[in-house]
Amino acid sequence: MRLPSLKGRRLVSALLFAGAALVAGAVIGACTSDEDQQQAQAVEQQTQQQDQDQPAAQVSGEPRGNTLQLIMDRGMLKCGVKQTQPLFGNRDEDGNVTGFDIEFCKAIAAAVLKDADAVEYIDASDASTRFELLADGQIDILIRTTTITSSRDMELDVDFAQTTFYTGQGFAVRKDSGINSTRDMANAAICVQTGTTTEQNVADHFTDIGLDYEPTGGLSQDVAAAFFEGRCDVLTADASDLASRIVVRDNADDYKILPQIISKEPLAPGVRDYDSDWKDVVNWVVHGLIRAEEIGLTQANVAANAANPPNTEVARLLGVPFEGGSVSTLGFEVVDAQFIQRAIAAVGNYGEIYDREIGDAIPRDCTLNALARPLPSEAVDCGPGEGGIMYALPYR
Amino acid sequence: MPLFYRRGFRRLLQQGLYVAATGLLFWYIYDALNLREFGFGFLSDPAAFKVANQWLIDIDGVTNSRITMYLVGVWASLRVVFVAILLSTVVGIVVGVSRLSSNWLVARMAMLYVEVFRNTPLLVQVVLVYAIFLVGAPIIQEVLNIGDFAFVSNRGVAIPWPVPDAGLWGLPDWGVGVWVALLIAIGAVAMTVRRQRQDRERATGQPQYGNRWAFGIFAVGALVTFIVLGLPVSIDRPYVEGTRYLEGMVIRPEFAALTIGLTLYTGAFNAEIVRGSIQALPRGQTEAANAVGLSAYQRMTLIILPQALRQMIPSITNQYLNVNKNSSLAYAVLYDDLFRVAGIIQNKAGHALEMFFVIIVTYMLISLVISAVMNLVNARVTRVGV
Repeated sequence: MRLPSLKGRRLVSALLFAGAALVAGAVIGACTSDEDQQQAQAVEQQTQQQDQDQPAAQVSGEPRGNTLQLIMDRGMLKCGVKQTQPLFGNRDEDGNVTGFDIEFCKAIAAAVLKDADAVEYIDASDASTRFELLADGQIDILIRTTTITSSRDMELDVDFAQTTFYTGQGFAVRKDSGINSTRDMANAAICVQTGTTTEQNVADHFTDIGLDYEPTGGLSQDVAAAFFEGRCDVLTADASDLASRIVVRDNADDYKILPQIISKEPLAPGVRDYDSDWKDVVNWVVHGLIRAEEIGLTQANVAANAANPPNTEVARLLGVPFEGGSVSTLGFEVVDAQFIQRAIAAVGNYGEIYDREIGDAIPRDCTLNALARPLPSEAVDCGPGEGGIMYALPYR
Repeated sequence: MPLFYRRGFRRLLQQGLYVAATGLLFWYIYDALNLREFGFGFLSDPAAFKVANQWLIDIDGVTNSRITMYLVGVWASLRVVFVAILLSTVVGIVVGVSRLSSNWLVARMAMLYVEVFRNTPLLVQVVLVYAIFLVGAPIIQEVLNIGDFAFVSNRGVAIPWPVPDAGLWGLPDWGVGVWVALLIAIGAVAMTVRRQRQDRERATGQPQYGNRWAFGIFAVGALVTFIVLGLPVSIDRPYVEGTRYLEGMVIRPEFAALTIGLTLYTGAFNAEIVRGSIQALPRGQTEAANAVGLSAYQRMTLIILPQALRQMIPSITNQYLNVNKNSSLAYAVLYDDLFRVAGIIQNKAGHALEMFFVIIVTYMLISLVISAVMNLVNARVTRVGV
């Protein structure tokens, strides 16, 4: 056999060399890109410490570094949001992402980065990969109509902050279908959103009431479209989701949402496990927006209140001196005391966000999303078992 | 000579770098896996969800394990792949032959079909078929009733379907199994008779009608055993009650859309393969067939197709493998195939890496089985003298 010519061999070795260099470059690059550098170092340190006294398999879930610091250094908040659900997180024709969840991204960006627009909205519309996005560090926070559940909290690398919206799984049907509760749904064709807690709720519920049903599963917007074409008798999802699907339709009056709610769905922002500082900030921004509504601070009057606080509590919440002396106890090393003030200035209080993004599409009075203690001027008479539980924790 | 220009040193350097880079890569992967608690234990946990029941599968997912539900998804994928492969082959042969027809209209229609379906994305076709079904078919309240025999609505097409029956003698549930076993035995006998007759035909030159004998034996045998066993199978006719189909077999729109989409798309490619294989045959084959006075139909079925089909097997195997892979477009039409079910599991349990590992292995296994079967077929038909 003839050996390859010298020229050929040179070419081969040059190619090999280039390939090896590329691979090495890619690996080193992946480990030390600017954004991930701090995180990678933190992971390394933690891993080394843990390796000494714990088996390797339990490394998961240990500290991942400080996301808050990471965001400050980056100057940009990576917010994982839904882009396919009107009212909550939706991408309009112009490519703008809007909705209830989006407002909280803005509020947090304003609080942490002093700029409500310093947000990169990362598409987390696909329910089945959202937690991976978070665990992988591709997003800093997941604000995407995500339900807090025990199994998610305990099994996945996710930790939930304060609930921003309370809902429950409901059923939408045509008004002329004659269906008034799940008891009327024997062998019904039901369109179910896949990759969510809804599938399990509906499976559990029908097992409990001893009926069978025929599911058609898919992405939220796909199953909704199928339902409106008559593919299914019933569409099941969070009641808030159902409302958002029906309200945008021309023939919205042909459909109704059954009063029956078969699950609790508290929707909350998710952050990574073992990331306390970051979770604290998220929590207190949400509570701050609720507190602002409780004491009547709005986007319009927050500047005036900050310039001339009427009492110590307002001064403390907004991080400004009261009668010449500092009363602030808020803030961390990296987040100053005025972070709530900036959040309110950027998006308004909780009630303003609700009115702006959801409004009458999902009535708020007497639901869980109303304030636990409404302002006297807004108090309405609710029936027994009704009323809000939006209750801000104290700032002091 | 400086060290860097020495051949030995440079080789060592190159290889060293390569080993180091590979090592780093594997260390990185190992580290990442450790961090994620890599393992498959989660697959044996309860599934706690339900998917649409499929033919032969009647499963309640609340208590089944996740792996069971995954296998239901695999079964759903297999059904689509199997039906789409069969139908796309038929479409391919019919259209491929039609393209060579001397009838102007037939040839142009075939060409139009091929060009439309070969040059548009499969995803578009599948979604379009599904949308047409949902929007175009009547809603269940206005179901299209075909003589109380079949029903069409956008909930699916309900058709009569054979089901096991206790029959005249009150057979137990497995009674129908006896009949199926008998059918297989009778089929074997029929095939043996056919082969013997064909051998005799070849030896003596006298027509022995092997096919007719085989068919006759099978038909008579099937009928006799069916009666003797007391009619172990009855036909289940569908009916509509409220908004539900009951009894019969329901072909769901999701299954239909995916299967039709795959069939039309792959059929166009198959047609081109069939046409190419026929055109690649030497002209002498056609002329020889004409010379011995065969009709156009005989020429095609006895001379041209047997040789052309032999040639096209390797290329058509690729199309079958594509059907398998493209079946994952079920995702776009709400069909609960293995990929979607895996997605559901993944959402509940996390473990995306493991799930994708399982998904890839499953698709590879199905592909390898298809390849193996096609290789067997190939080995058989390329043997000269069979």
